[in-house]
Amino acid sequence: MSAVVVEKLVKHYPTRSGPVVAVDGVSFQVEPGEIVGLLGANGAGKTTTIKCILGLILPTSGRVEVLGVPSHRPQVAQHVAAVLEGARNVYWRLSVEENLAFFAGLQGLSPRRARTRIDKLIALFGLEEKRKTVANLLSQGMKQKLAVACALVKDTEVVLLDEPTLGLDVETSHELRRLIRQLAQEEGRTVLLSSHDMGVVEETCQRVVILAQGKVVTDDRVDRLLKLFRTRAWSIQVAGGISQDTVNRLREVFPLIKLHSFDHGATLEVELAPGQDFYELLDLLREEGVELEGISRAEPDLEEVFLKIVRGEGR
Amino acid sequence: MNRLWTFCAIVKRYLIEFKRYPFNTLSGLATLYIVFLLIFLGARYVQSAGVSLFGESLEGLVVGYMMWTFALAAFSDLSWALMREAQLGTLEQLYMCPYGFRFVSLAWIVGSFLTGLIFVGVLLGLMMLTTGHLLHLPLGSLLPLLLLTVAAVYGVGFAMAGLALVFKRIQSFFQILQFVFVALVALPAEPWWAKALPLSLGTRLIARVMIEGRSLGELPGSDLLILVANGLVYLGLGLAAFTFCERAARRRGLLAHY
Repeated sequence: MSAVVVEKLVKHYPTRSGPVVAVDGVSFQVEPGEIVGLLGANGAGKTTTIKCILGLILPTSGRVEVLGVPSHRPQVAQHVAAVLEGARNVYWRLSVEENLAFFAGLQGLSPRRARTRIDKLIALFGLEEKRKTVANLLSQGMKQKLAVACALVKDTEVVLLDEPTLGLDVETSHELRRLIRQLAQEEGRTVLLSSHDMGVVEETCQRVVILAQGKVVTDDRVDRLLKLFRTRAWSIQVAGGISQDTVNRLREVFPLIKLHSFDHGATLEVELAPGQDFYELLDLLREEGVELEGISRAEPDLEEVFLKIVRGEGR
Repeated sequence: MNRLWTFCAIVKRYLIEFKRYPFNTLSGLATLYIVFLLIFLGARYVQSAGVSLFGESLEGLVVGYMMWTFALAAFSDLSWALMREAQLGTLEQLYMCPYGFRFVSLAWIVGSFLTGLIFVGVLLGLMMLTTGHLLHLPLGSLLPLLLLTVAAVYGVGFAMAGLALVFKRIQSFFQILQFVFVALVALPAEPWWAKALPLSLGTRLIARVMIEGRSLGELPGSDLLILVANGLVYLGLGLAAFTFCERAARRRGLLAHY
């Protein structure tokens, strides 16, 4: 059984000027133990999708289930916990320990079971010294860690993290990435993560689902996506420069070409379209009399891949 | 058993926050006591001139003021709490309780009732000391009456909380309802229509226990039955209104808004 099933999910928000389509037929599944990134620009439908999975928003149509339980039922919370909007998920007037005890209790965990989980999470997140400190007095990073710990204390099979590294410094962000990986590897949790921080997604997720304008535009493994774009992206160093006319002629065949000119040369960055051959490009460069100085494969990161996909430049 | 842990966690959090902010609690208590003092001094002055206020004795004023205070806390607690939770960003977390948000809010109400009892108990003590009139306090009779009387007010509170989920800013409603509750507490409970309203009948019955020293068994059975029905009907209507608004808020994605 899949941990999360989203099938033909549609969500329209009623407004005075007519319904606004937030999610338009989104379908994907997350298997147990997977870490999946849900990506998209602002307004792509990520948060609406996540909240539909949590049952916080009722879909217009479609099927959403977590471990077989329909999301509109409160019982879905037995299987899924979430961090939404970062640190705005904890009680600022309660201490670290009280927050964790409250959320464990809210889930129905007995005090004894909660105690074991609280001790483990406090140690895991390095919050021992702040155990009795009220959340209000914690740093932003600590609050964020506490928010994630409060979701994890519920001991659910599925965890949804919406922007978990928002506002964190580099060090804490890296620490959180390690913790997320640890969650899946050691505890076998299923994680669905939404973030604008591509570093986090690239480092933690095995698969990404990319949304654009409420639809799924890509659902693939991160390594496959990077490989796909790596084999199609080339960086060509040109000796002595290159005329704009030549570049324009090259663009007629290879539209995704960028020119970076320097004092003593230039670099062409070329993105091959599906079905195009690298040797075609070399032949064309020879015909144009372009003197090559070096050729290397461009190493795109997930951010570049993401941008190309949402701009419709790839796949 | 799991529900019990959830229930305990919610009530415990309520009590921790009540205890952790003594200045907030004390300033609220001081304000209500000062308002009572002003009413008391004014009433004594007017009564010395031969005018009867509230149609009753000073004991009636104490009981009426106590019930008004309790009702204010009861109807506004849930709505304020909802608005505060939405601002904090924790409302959605509460909605992710496996037993549903209605269970969370019922536990919340128990917390509110317990803190309300402490608060009103202290205020009542101060009022009795100020007026020099000691009232009867048979808890066995008073607690069920209080519970039934405020059940109707909690019904109003649920309806208000539902409105707060959808419309967010409903403070002006609170101000209006404060005055409506003054009228309900002061109304005579004899007419049938007054018995159908929340708060009026319960306040009269509580007054008979506290002022006349009657026990629960000595009160008219028909009145007690009406009080039970009154509490259940208003609570049921309030919960239905809350459920309707909650569904609208979930359909329109408004739970996290504030």
